[in-house]
Amino acid sequence: MVLEATMICIDNSEWMRNGDYSPSRFQAQADAVNLICGAKTQSNPENTVGVLTMSGKGVRVLVTPTSDLGKILACMHGLEIGGEMNLAAGIQVAQLALKHRQNKKQQQRIIVFAGGPVKHEKKMLEMIGRKLKKNSVALDIINFGEEDEEKTEKLEALLAAVNNNDTSHIVHVPAGPNALPDVLISTPIFTGDGEGGSGFAAAAAAAGGVSGYEFGVDPNLDPELALALRVSMEEERARQEAAAKKAAEDAAKQEKGGEQQASSQDATMTERASAATSDAENKTNDLMDDENALLEQALAMSMDDPATSHDVKDTDMSEAASVDPELALALQLSVADSTKDATSQSDMSKLLADESFVSSILASLPGVDPNDPSVRDLLASMQNQSEPQQKDDEKPSSNEEEKK
Amino acid sequence: MSVESAASIVIPKGQVDLLDFIDWSSVECLNQSSTHSVSNALKQGYREDDGLHLESDADEQLLLYIPFTQVIKLYSIVVIGPEEEGPKTVKLFSNKEHMGFSNVNDFPPNDVAVLSPENIKGKPVILKYVKFQNVRSLTIFIEDNQSGSELTKVQKILLYGSTVETTDMKGLKKIEDH
Repeated sequence: MVLEATMICIDNSEWMRNGDYSPSRFQAQADAVNLICGAKTQSNPENTVGVLTMSGKGVRVLVTPTSDLGKILACMHGLEIGGEMNLAAGIQVAQLALKHRQNKKQQQRIIVFAGGPVKHEKKMLEMIGRKLKKNSVALDIINFGEEDEEKTEKLEALLAAVNNNDTSHIVHVPAGPNALPDVLISTPIFTGDGEGGSGFAAAAAAAGGVSGYEFGVDPNLDPELALALRVSMEEERARQEAAAKKAAEDAAKQEKGGEQQASSQDATMTERASAATSDAENKTNDLMDDENALLEQALAMSMDDPATSHDVKDTDMSEAASVDPELALALQLSVADSTKDATSQSDMSKLLADESFVSSILASLPGVDPNDPSVRDLLASMQNQSEPQQKDDEKPSSNEEEKK
Repeated sequence: MSVESAASIVIPKGQVDLLDFIDWSSVECLNQSSTHSVSNALKQGYREDDGLHLESDADEQLLLYIPFTQVIKLYSIVVIGPEEEGPKTVKLFSNKEHMGFSNVNDFPPNDVAVLSPENIKGKPVILKYVKFQNVRSLTIFIEDNQSGSELTKVQKILLYGSTVETTDMKGLKKIEDH
């Protein structure tokens, strides 16, 4: 709650026509001025703000310090752009306007927008700076627009001459995608010096209707957190794009699968596999691809075995392969794998050879009648063959389908 | 303190310390260091403490604006400072508002005092009494210091004079309250 009288020196030189700050330098500046005026008058009801232009036919005071926000905002309209910025004269006139403020208790502050080049000598600026300091006037400089070493150096020198107890600030705003007011809102020009800073910024945000920070976190306070948040947001965006792409592919696949549903269960299996993959995609992280490959492989293994590959299945597989090369690769792998797994399968067939064990398992399965003649035939034929286990595999899955 | 007693001895009869009549809310000082403000030299308690002093900031000059709650007559002034950084040329203006360093030479001062080493140890400076008969506010401009350096320090400023017989508006209000 600093009691302040502020003069804002705006730059309306020809250089302000440039469009490197959206929508134009001049408009960006006007927005920033409105925001500052709002913030200043909100932070203390007795604060006053005045505005003057530094270019054109000469320095012109548009509004002497007033607490009437409407007056300040109105004066910003219909300003003419022209001429060169006269920084020295602008600051001196501003100081004079502040000197004759009505409320002597107000601290004096000048805010300068420096968009065009600075033509004055560095020494002259330093002299003016010292004069301001002597008269206990604080100075905030917003350096934007024209960028060159000399200008920055001159403005820094001016600030150094004025700065007393860190009450004066300089902000360099390079051209970029960020709007000028958005950049300024987190700077000391808005946040003030220490106490009541955040409230000040909040008031400014409310007044200007600008949403503060990107993630609700001041990037200046915690740069690491801000960076982490940004990185995670980009990852999330990439992930969503990949998921959308997959979903489109899956939809195409489902159409084909649907046509063949009548002939084979495998179409359903493929469908289910794709459903499972898209499910898995939704909770992806960096390991997404590895996991998907594993999952596809596992599904392929469960629904297929080399010995019993029916013709129908093969066509299905080729169908799938034509749609999704990745899936095809996984299927191929699984075929190769299952031959390798022959040894473990022989163990399995030993187990299956045990009739009582198999029938107990079949009995425990819902919807399967162990006394069904076809099942009995199967079991009988299983005694000496390792292949028929496949049919047992198929049964429960078809049962599952019925449940669906 | 010997300095204190020496200063108080010279006070002629009928003159009082004008401390009580200063309008503190409007006291101003230009070019003061933010850590060594004007109250260190003016306010009771602070000014008696030798460790506290008023210090200049950007250069050696200081400009004090002291308004009073009622019209006074100024008789003498005491400015105490260190031997080296103590003030030297002091210009006094009466009833000049809105003065800054830029227009300090635009008006003729009511009185100019060049302080001797004795003065800054506590010897009062007797002013041109006739020039300070109807004073509502006093502006003290300290132009330079004893050694001519960039830094001026003031430990204490005492103003002696008398009040003009006028109605003290603040006193009147208090009576109305009863």
